[in-house]
Amino acid sequence: MPPAAPVKIDVRNLTKRFGDLLVLDDISFQVGRGEFLAIVGPTGCGKTTFLNCLSKLIPTSAGDIFIDGRVADPRVHNISFVFQEPTCLPWRTVRENVAYGMELKRFPTDKIRERVDYMLGLVGLAETQHLYPNQVSASMVQRITVARAFAVDPDLLLMDEPYGQLDVKLRYYLEDELVKLWQTLKATVIFVTHNIEEAVYVAERILVLSNKPTRIKAEVRVDLPRPRSLIDPAFVQIRKQVTELIRWW
Amino acid sequence: MAYEEVKVRKPLGLILLPFFSVVCFFGAWELIVRAGIVPATMLAAPSDVGALFVDKLTNPNPDGATIFVHAWVSMQEAFLGYLLALGIGIPLGLFMGWFGVVRGIARPIFELIRPIPPIAWIPLTVFWFGIGLWGKVFIIWLGGVVPCVINAFVGVRMTNPTLIQMARTYGASDWQIFKTLCVPSALPMVFGALQIALASCWTNLVAAELLAADQGLGYLITMGRRLALPDMVVLGMVSVGVMGALIGLAIDEVEKRLLAGIRR
Repeated sequence: MPPAAPVKIDVRNLTKRFGDLLVLDDISFQVGRGEFLAIVGPTGCGKTTFLNCLSKLIPTSAGDIFIDGRVADPRVHNISFVFQEPTCLPWRTVRENVAYGMELKRFPTDKIRERVDYMLGLVGLAETQHLYPNQVSASMVQRITVARAFAVDPDLLLMDEPYGQLDVKLRYYLEDELVKLWQTLKATVIFVTHNIEEAVYVAERILVLSNKPTRIKAEVRVDLPRPRSLIDPAFVQIRKQVTELIRWW
Repeated sequence: MAYEEVKVRKPLGLILLPFFSVVCFFGAWELIVRAGIVPATMLAAPSDVGALFVDKLTNPNPDGATIFVHAWVSMQEAFLGYLLALGIGIPLGLFMGWFGVVRGIARPIFELIRPIPPIAWIPLTVFWFGIGLWGKVFIIWLGGVVPCVINAFVGVRMTNPTLIQMARTYGASDWQIFKTLCVPSALPMVFGALQIALASCWTNLVAAELLAADQGLGYLITMGRRLALPDMVVLGMVSVGVMGALIGLAIDEVEKRLLAGIRR
């Protein structure tokens, strides 16, 4: 099933071995421009390795990732990575944290200022912009990193269970916010989670990974209108379908 | 959000106890000497030391300088050595922490020199610099530079690896990561080095002056020994102790202010 939009991210024959251990086994898929793709899989299926390869943090053993037809390179492309653990810099204010990615990419100062103001408004951090991360709540800390990730206008936004450490109510709230951000800023997102409900809630398409050595076991398109309802029978049906695909017990 | 300060009231006895202990200590010392339990040629009584201190405020004899001159000379040496130790040790440690090339070049040499006590350098130092200011500054610098390098190095090595990964995905260069992540992460450790290096500098100052000097508090101690004047020896020791404590307090205050601006 190819993506509906023109191809933005093209992963070809991605393979990763650690010595004799084959972790990622010849994975190929494509992501359309502005698509929201979720990746789910059983625990220990190599999701982190997968993301580290996609973000070019570690080299692949074979195959590669192409962005707009060119081999992905953090120096050339705007790749953002929202980690599971908070990655705010404690010595920078909220505002300076949101600007950090753009500073590394040497955006012009005016553009940084303008863009930070815009992002702070979008995620509702304008009033706390001069506070330090340890002075704001845990959910705000994760919103700072999400704002920082969107601020660089990413070609590819990778998210590794960004809301995994938050409670359920906050999660729904932040997932709604994330979807809103994605719709407004039209980024291409790969969202990794082990929470199936979360994946069905946010994504347009879900890739289900197998146990190690990891392959793509199935692909599920989520063609539901937004905002989605967790009790909509169609939603429940997709959630059950993905759960069946993932179950290893 | 303002927090009300919680006031803990200490019992009066506990407040007075330190004074009581100090008075007892000096009282016992005075008594031991006065009663002749320890002969006056081996230990001076506190009252004698006090009298000598008052005398030395104005009288340069027999060691050639007043107590102020001795203290001033020691201060100069200590601070020059200290500042040079900070100025060279901290950047070196920071660079060694992040840049493999610097670590590769500097670490083996550093590890070889580190175990040599600074006083072992005194003979060579006398050959190189004579007994003037710079010889002692060199010894003091050697003492201070080691903790600076180690703390800055460890501080950089403790930078959260996830933060480095995050910066890498934004395409950060090594220099950008060093400047924006490693150095700020290392700052608390670097501030720790301020105190440790000072203590080390001050200790080595006295050692350097004991062997090669013509002025300074350590020299005062040496002269007291040569002239068989125990009160002068004790005066030198007490001056070293009191000044070291005062400088330590001052650095502590500076450190608190700097950290208040950095560690939120």
